[in-house]
Amino acid sequence: MWRGCLVSLDFKQLHQQVKQLGENAVIRQKHLQNLRVTARELLNQNAERASQLRKKVLMVARNVDPDIRCALPLNEALNTSFPLPDLPNTATVIAADGSQINPNRHAEVNYCVINVGAIQMSYSSSTPPRPTIYSELLYDEKLYTPRGMLTEGLVALTRDLNERQVFVELAKEASENPVITFTDGPMELWGAKEPPGSLTFQESLHKYLKILTQLQKLNVITAGYVDKPSADLVIRLLEVAMTPEPDLENIRTSRPLRGVTDRDLFAQILSEGKRSAMFSLQSKSAKEYSGPLALHFFYLNVGQHDHGWIVRVEIPAWVAEDATMLEALHAILIHQCRILGGRAYPYLLHRAHEVAVVHRDEKEQLTQMIIQELRRRGVQVGEKSQKQAVKDLPGRTSYG
Amino acid sequence: MTKSIEIGRLLRAGTTGFVVGCRVSQLDSPSFGALVRVPLENSYQIFGLIHNIQIDDDGLVRQLVTAEGVDEAIIADNRINRNVPVEISVLSVGYQEGNQIRHLLPPRPPLSLDVIYLCSQEEIRQFTTSGRFGYFRHILYAKDLPISELLASHIKQANAAHLAVGESPWIQTATKELITLLRDDYQTLTTVLGSLSDVLEG
Repeated sequence: MWRGCLVSLDFKQLHQQVKQLGENAVIRQKHLQNLRVTARELLNQNAERASQLRKKVLMVARNVDPDIRCALPLNEALNTSFPLPDLPNTATVIAADGSQINPNRHAEVNYCVINVGAIQMSYSSSTPPRPTIYSELLYDEKLYTPRGMLTEGLVALTRDLNERQVFVELAKEASENPVITFTDGPMELWGAKEPPGSLTFQESLHKYLKILTQLQKLNVITAGYVDKPSADLVIRLLEVAMTPEPDLENIRTSRPLRGVTDRDLFAQILSEGKRSAMFSLQSKSAKEYSGPLALHFFYLNVGQHDHGWIVRVEIPAWVAEDATMLEALHAILIHQCRILGGRAYPYLLHRAHEVAVVHRDEKEQLTQMIIQELRRRGVQVGEKSQKQAVKDLPGRTSYG
Repeated sequence: MTKSIEIGRLLRAGTTGFVVGCRVSQLDSPSFGALVRVPLENSYQIFGLIHNIQIDDDGLVRQLVTAEGVDEAIIADNRINRNVPVEISVLSVGYQEGNQIRHLLPPRPPLSLDVIYLCSQEEIRQFTTSGRFGYFRHILYAKDLPISELLASHIKQANAAHLAVGESPWIQTATKELITLLRDDYQTLTTVLGSLSDVLEG
């Protein structure tokens, strides 16, 4: 309801709803706690049944739900954990992150920028990490795809591709082995706003797989770091495990452990610095990644001092199947997270974000630079849309 | 002629003083009490004394101090690669027009991004022997600053510049002038002389 007052939220209406939320939360917390206990029991009961479970999941994917997205166990016991290995004596660690200025038809000039920041650190010396920035300006025809204007989803997709391409370039120059690279987020290319199967997504995926192959040939350890993961891939595996075979036909809608996440599960199992068993990923899209590129993941407790913090680390098969690579990655990630003390997050990933992020004033500066260049050449510059101009008026603003 | 040492660029200014921003890598040159100059157009330059060097924190630095030991590489990354804000505050104490040095407040302040240099020993000698210590007034009027420490530090540095060419009486003349200026302010005089004696003993 519009109230014509100085705040946009109607706190009177929300107050009642927040009270209701609080009442439900108590009940839900108890319910989830019971489910977490059940999940842990299921994990222990099925710990040594990796092979049977694998067959069962593949059967479900083949006969019942080809879209099922869950963990596929390998040879390790499901509830096993691996202690923190020693840091390698030498390593080149590279993190990359990206940001973008999305095309904006409401602005005076329509352009797009894809910015990738990378930072590289040598573990055998105390020389400061080396930041690198790659800025790409897209304009005119580059703002179009065969299906129309470049969307925000496609910009994000290109940014993700560029992040990985940077790894290839930097890894070629690295003087110290092993070379370990990571980005924030999953390894699986995610075209959130582009329908999977669309031409542009497929093109991007093809390029991405090519980049991964290059990294594999360079013997690079590459990973995707997922902080505070909300996925329930292992939980879904346990749901398949607990469902009797005759009932599997309803597995698509059957979610007895709904609400429990893998993070909840492994927080009960992994102590400080330890990693979980390795899993591969069963999903429709994961099939695109085959052989040495097949997607794998493990959970890792990067917290310390009794403050556990579970993250998911996604890696390709060529890393998952090489014990030395895996140990180096495990040790480096824990070391990186400990640099930031109480905030367990890889230092270089945070720095890559700092290097990559495009600030509002930088965006404004670039817009003015483009406008000046156009005017200098006698090209007519457009106007902001009326909507944008009114939004940009100084004064009170609200979120959203 | 010795090469001028650039210590940073101007962030903001007023008639009585200005603030300089610098990189951490430039921070080994400027020191508390040092005489600096800002050359402007047409043989006009402003002189000032550094009275504060401020190193601000940010979220990442705050986080890093909570860690158990910080690697050398991480310290170097934060000091060299990151935009650590270092601000140097300067008290205006005079200016030069042509060959004439005046111990008066500058007619107009420096502008944003003007370059600030550390004064050479020759420039310190020139500035401190022009007139009769008129610039001491600006220091003594700056009641919010640590006056005695600032004077002591400046006099120590200026005295070294004079001693380098065998001009020993400068510090005695400077001290006498301070005693004269502070003859009606016994409390300040006592603290200034106390700080000066520390300098002389050092």
